[in-house]
Amino acid sequence: MSQTANTYDIKSASLDVLAFVLRSNQLDELTQALESRFGNRAKPSAAEAVVLDVAALDNPADLALDRVLSLLGHYGFRAVALRHPDPAYEELAHRFGLAHIAGQVTGGKAAVSEPAPASIPESPACAPTMIIDRPVRAGQQIYAKGGDLVVLAMVSAGAEVIADGNIHVYAPLRGRALAGARGNTAARIFTQCMEAELVSIAGVYRTIEQALPDSIRGKPAQVFLENERLVITALGE
Amino acid sequence: MAKIIVVTSGKGGVGKTTTSASFASGLALRGHKTVVIDFDVGLRNLDLIMGCERRVVYDLINVVNNEATLNQALIKDKNCDNLYVLPASQTRDKDALTEEGVEKVLNDLATMNFDFIVCDSPAGIEKGALMALYFADEALIVTNPEVSSVRDSDRILGILSSKSRRAIEGREPVKEHLLITRYSPSRVEKGEMLSVDDVKEILRVSLLGVIPESQVVLQASNSGTPAIHLKGTDASEAYADVVSRFLGEDRPMRFLDVPKVGLLKRLFGG
Repeated sequence: MSQTANTYDIKSASLDVLAFVLRSNQLDELTQALESRFGNRAKPSAAEAVVLDVAALDNPADLALDRVLSLLGHYGFRAVALRHPDPAYEELAHRFGLAHIAGQVTGGKAAVSEPAPASIPESPACAPTMIIDRPVRAGQQIYAKGGDLVVLAMVSAGAEVIADGNIHVYAPLRGRALAGARGNTAARIFTQCMEAELVSIAGVYRTIEQALPDSIRGKPAQVFLENERLVITALGE
Repeated sequence: MAKIIVVTSGKGGVGKTTTSASFASGLALRGHKTVVIDFDVGLRNLDLIMGCERRVVYDLINVVNNEATLNQALIKDKNCDNLYVLPASQTRDKDALTEEGVEKVLNDLATMNFDFIVCDSPAGIEKGALMALYFADEALIVTNPEVSSVRDSDRILGILSSKSRRAIEGREPVKEHLLITRYSPSRVEKGEMLSVDDVKEILRVSLLGVIPESQVVLQASNSGTPAIHLKGTDASEAYADVVSRFLGEDRPMRFLDVPKVGLLKRLFGG
């Protein structure tokens, strides 16, 4: 037992950031545009992380990146990454302490270029809940991307149910259940009959080899994260 | 309209072919025109169990490849008038089965006024097994009361609900029936075997019947006579019950308890 406590963990996580898609090399134009859009906005206390997307520029190498970064900083944006499909830009990104992203940035809602009244917060889009009403059998895998998963029939041993949100199983859960698959540590697993082989929340998992205590095994139970530890408790106590 | 029934299990050696033979014979004995197809291409066994191995000239693959007509390949059963066997090929492999070919054979059988088409699936979840279950309307899931067999049955149930044609076309799902074979009540009592209730609880599929572990089944296989024909034996009666229940009749479950042995019988042997 010479296990030392880990000084760090590397986990799968994802972060929503804005993409700042630059369409012009002309810094004067850019300054003007930013001033007219954000000039009268109170300077935010914390900078908003953005990905600086230069893929649309004709000749991004000519861009005075240092000036663009300070300009963005002035209006409350902090570039954390530079996006361009050409790997040659990796070196440039490094020089300014930015990560280089070659791939596509998904999302694509024009949050910055479309002026929207800043005072009205956007209503959060409700990710659809996936509802499964047939048994999930050994060897089957169900993934509810972006939302919750509700299973109305049993999840067999050897089956796997995964959700980015919460997982509800209104029948015996005998297989594997992985909630918060993209790092949502607030996600939970609920089941009417806890007999799972493995439970995981936001990448923190536990295989259940030893029988669970009688107060939980085969009973309605929930699983959640508390201080990065998995907690399994009976429901309705 | 011919009803297509697949006899499947995932795991090998649990009694699929034995069940296919007795189940198809049982349906025929009740007056239904029935054909039983061996999908175990390359490892054919059904013709042995049915006692017609010496009469195999053409097989399923010949029909699929248009090398023989259905009438040439169908073998009339020696015990029942209404029963025909479509054997598998010994010399080919399962890749010889194509979806179009199998569909054509099944459609042609349907036009020949068969009431039931019983598909004896090979073990595993590969091509042969997928072809056997793809067109099914109903499925007999043959399971032994032990964990690996039950797990494989669960897997096959998952495939039925996702890869059968009914599932893919979004029609009414394949009707699933659980058949527990090689059941030994005395070993269940000793805790060496899963009970019927255990298996039902794990798989949650309606139980069609329980076939007891019986010497008769081995004798039947060796003699090329489906077990259902061995009148008065437990396996025969259990299969007859299964057929009756399948045809919608109400039959109590039998052979679930250890038979009571009298003192004299215990002393002097049965």
